[in-house]
Amino acid sequence: MSLKEKHSESSSNNKGDQPTVATGAEAGVSRAGNQVNEYSQVSLKSEGEKVLLILPTSGKTEQQTDWSVLWQDLKYRLQGSEHAWQAGTAVHLLAKDRLLDGRQLQTIAETLKEVKLQLKWVCTSRRQTAVAAATAGYSVQQEKMLPAINLEVEQSQQQQLAEPLYLQTTVRSGSEVRHPGTIIIQGDCNPGGIIIAAGDILVWGSLRGIAHAGAMGNREAKIMALRMEPTQLRIADLIARAPESPPSQLMPEVAYITPEGIRIAQTINFAKNNSFLKKFGPW
Amino acid sequence: MSRIIVITSGKGGVGKTSVTANLGMALARLGRKVALVDADFGLRNLDLILGLENRVVYTAIEVIAGECRLEQALVKDKRQAGLVLLPAAQNRNKDAVTPTQMKDLISNLAKNYDYVLVDSPAGIETGFRNAIAAATEALIITTPEVAAVRDADRVVGLLEAHEIKTIRLIINRLRPEMIRQNEMLSMEDILDLLVIPLIGIIPDDERIIVSSNRGEPLVLDSKPSLPGMAFENIAKRLEGKEEVPFLDLMAHNDNLINRIRRLFKG
Repeated sequence: MSLKEKHSESSSNNKGDQPTVATGAEAGVSRAGNQVNEYSQVSLKSEGEKVLLILPTSGKTEQQTDWSVLWQDLKYRLQGSEHAWQAGTAVHLLAKDRLLDGRQLQTIAETLKEVKLQLKWVCTSRRQTAVAAATAGYSVQQEKMLPAINLEVEQSQQQQLAEPLYLQTTVRSGSEVRHPGTIIIQGDCNPGGIIIAAGDILVWGSLRGIAHAGAMGNREAKIMALRMEPTQLRIADLIARAPESPPSQLMPEVAYITPEGIRIAQTINFAKNNSFLKKFGPW
Repeated sequence: MSRIIVITSGKGGVGKTSVTANLGMALARLGRKVALVDADFGLRNLDLILGLENRVVYTAIEVIAGECRLEQALVKDKRQAGLVLLPAAQNRNKDAVTPTQMKDLISNLAKNYDYVLVDSPAGIETGFRNAIAAATEALIITTPEVAAVRDADRVVGLLEAHEIKTIRLIINRLRPEMIRQNEMLSMEDILDLLVIPLIGIIPDDERIIVSSNRGEPLVLDSKPSLPGMAFENIAKRLEGKEEVPFLDLMAHNDNLINRIRRLFKG
């Protein structure tokens, strides 16, 4: 039996066994779609010679719990992308409307120092944060027009995706990675871990947890993994479970939306299938 | 430089306390000064398993409240020189202490000992945060069960977030017979998921239960036992002797008939 035959056989198996659950828009899924926007996590962005550290806008949630979550997020992001920049790079902190006291700023600076980044510049719309930053000796820029700018940013986010997020980490049980763009994970996503992206999801490792691509409604989003053994796959407003009986051979696979729901194909066969699908357009 | 190691698992009942007791004893037998800290406030067990229950006078709570000196609360083990226990309070709950208090207490204790082993309670709430507050290293205990491995994965994530980078794995209650018949998660399955270095495998053994009930850690037994040897090997590996080979548990209770059977199964 040639290798080629084997492949096509297992890919057709996959398709047949792949049950699709809840084809309608689920409340849970549409809520997750908003999550990418509203509770978006800390993000890091390289811009020329500096790194931008962008904090999410503070919601109505309680300040105290908010801060610890924020800090955990920051540490997780930094650990995951440690090699993305050179030692000693300056960091510009965009704190938006978040209230930060001197101690919290110092904690952020220390956390950044551990991965050899230097906090240099703070941009905020809150007077108290600006005062605290100035006292600690950082360059400060206070913006007043921020609410209007924020709205603009959020609107534009809905149309175009943020830059891809590249993380070198294992997404373990209980951790959640959210990003309003494409997410690339170099590592595994373990059962109990969740990845939510507005764009595609690419896991260079085993995907065993939950992945939600196109969380803001993009039905053309895809989920790719070297070993596809997910708890659940979600694309836009559709959910699918993995087959009850896992295929004997795990090959790199792609999950995408077809008129019949979410389907999985082997990556090497995907290009052919996909060109065929294009005629129908996404479901 | 003393080492503060937290022994934790997430899930309850996987053998954190037994491992702490036996490992502490094994390290003390290697000539180290070892302090065991029971961080399970309200549900303390470590003193029972070590057989030191009737000698507890003061507990960590009294030390933190300043009602006694740290040295007064430490219970010395009469059987093995160099081993002391800092018991937890039984009449309080986990909220009675804060991570900062716990950190100060353990850092003080660490000055006089080579090893401080902290026995963490199950769960990931206050008690867990207290236990890991001062630790610089962690040993994760798991059993070859899906639930235990899942919880271990969660705990590894939390430890990494708390900047505890040296995390090693102990697989407890391994039953070679069941793995051979493919009825239990194998070592490879567990390591594939958790991706942390393995420091020891402890076979399932009734003698561990017997020794816990008697309050005599298995390592003290004059008759050598497989789990006892496993604990001693872990202690040696902790000491930096990484080359100590793993016990071949599969070879245990292997006989000619089994081998022939496997030969035919291919």
